[in-house]
Amino acid sequence: MNYITTYCHIALNNCYVNGKLTHSFNSNSIDDFTKEFYKSLILEYPKFHKMDRLAKTAFLGTEVLKKECPEILNYKDDEIAILFSNNNSSALTDVNFQTSYQNGGVPSPSLFVYTLPNILIGEIAIRNKWYGENMFTVAEHFDAEYFVNYCNVLLHKNAAAALCGWLTIDDNKIEAFLFFVTKKDFNELNLPLESKQLIELYTKN
Amino acid sequence: MITYIGLENIISPLGITAEENFNQIKQGNTSINYHRGIGFGHENIFLSKLKNTPSFYELLSQCLQAVIKGTEDELILSKDTIVIISTTKADIKENITTPIIAAIKKLTKEFQLQQQPIVISNACISGVLAMNTANNFIKAGIYKNAFVIGADVVSDFVLYGFQSLYAISDKPCQPFDKNRTGISLGEGAGGVFMSSDKNVFKSTCFEFVEGTSSNDANHISGPSRTGEGLVRTVNNSLALAQLKPSAIDFISAHGTGTSFNDEMEAIAFSRLGMNTIPLNSLKGYFGHTLGAAGLIETAICLQSLRNNLLIKTLGFEEDGASEKINITTQNITTEVTTILKTASGFGGCNASAIIRKLK
Repeated sequence: MNYITTYCHIALNNCYVNGKLTHSFNSNSIDDFTKEFYKSLILEYPKFHKMDRLAKTAFLGTEVLKKECPEILNYKDDEIAILFSNNNSSALTDVNFQTSYQNGGVPSPSLFVYTLPNILIGEIAIRNKWYGENMFTVAEHFDAEYFVNYCNVLLHKNAAAALCGWLTIDDNKIEAFLFFVTKKDFNELNLPLESKQLIELYTKN
Repeated sequence: MITYIGLENIISPLGITAEENFNQIKQGNTSINYHRGIGFGHENIFLSKLKNTPSFYELLSQCLQAVIKGTEDELILSKDTIVIISTTKADIKENITTPIIAAIKKLTKEFQLQQQPIVISNACISGVLAMNTANNFIKAGIYKNAFVIGADVVSDFVLYGFQSLYAISDKPCQPFDKNRTGISLGEGAGGVFMSSDKNVFKSTCFEFVEGTSSNDANHISGPSRTGEGLVRTVNNSLALAQLKPSAIDFISAHGTGTSFNDEMEAIAFSRLGMNTIPLNSLKGYFGHTLGAAGLIETAICLQSLRNNLLIKTLGFEEDGASEKINITTQNITTEVTTILKTASGFGGCNASAIIRKLK
């Protein structure tokens, strides 16, 4: 049996970890919110500021989960699979990149490198020196069955844990649901990895 | 449990079946052409483009239809069947704010799919990752069959992007060559069928032994200088397959033609002790087809297994990496049993897969 050992929800100005409000801000914009959130975590990781909104959100969620469940850091560097998903790929940065070369501008290389959704997985891998399995999928809706099935498959194969996330990011929206799946229930939340359970957690906030 | 693979299809400017494409590249023909003024700033560009400029959806649907023809008709309608799609930019030309999903909904409806397709968008390893995922689901008993289809089209968006990185070659790309200066983009689709039942293939199938992925954890747009992620994924796939590096007869590498990527691969294969194994890159024939590349190149691997013919690396003339590897400079007729396919991409991702003839 595999467990959802810890989870978090991020929305504008708030972050809930395992269902409890842990971070709250009064920012007027999404960009200010991610900046304030980053500052409050005292990370000294200036690369954060170069990331696009999709990567920033996934990065912040991962840092919060690590704090809540430090046991995650004891895994070997290639034992953690990273599985993220959303329904619009890198659309927000895609539009920004397209804008860069329209109306007389020139294509921006620093925007272009973020026009692939799996870049956020790379950012998390670089930050944590995690060399495990990677996969970014695009689905119409949050697909609990996919996460349950594929986590079970990988935890039975060459991973010991999985970092998962579903992100709803666009010009005026920021919502994220991240969770860690492990074989041992470190935080004793008693949340077995099952579709019904996962959907319940996803819709909680 | 064994995963079988076969029924490969390729849609490219060189043909609409895997056989047609194999026959063309066997003769040294390429689909990369000179296109006047199509780049940003009206630059002239070498790339591979289909004549009728099909949409992403048309490519996907045509390729899936071709693969379906090689199986029993009712398989695509089964609850035990999953369709896995690999793409990077999908229908970005038509649909930049809500990409991919509209095309997938249309595909689900048109083919009456019982399971929601899984869409993998993981840069240039998407195609290999899609086959690995199919293999994982099949071996775990979650699905019995998988249609794995990859497609990408050439767009201003992607071309301008690679131009902005100074990563477009000023000649047709020259993978692993000393004078390589970058990639040539390409478009097309590739597809395979995978199943736990070898009897549902209407032609000879092969064994998909194992596949894994690994991240370099180094840089988002540059490959690791040590080839760490590629070394790890190949080692992991070999270990799961219980094979030694010497069991591999041939490597179908990624070989984009950029300075950094090809150097990284040469270092990785050298570290793996695989530098004497014949190796090729097919980018000189098809260009870099991004999300379709892993599937197009695997389809050619299956053709190599069928024909016992290894394809030369078009565009390669002189060694250009710090580590010597055994790059094919001519077609080689030889008994081929086991092939390693690899891919690497932005975001530091690397993937590998091992395919062999049935015993």
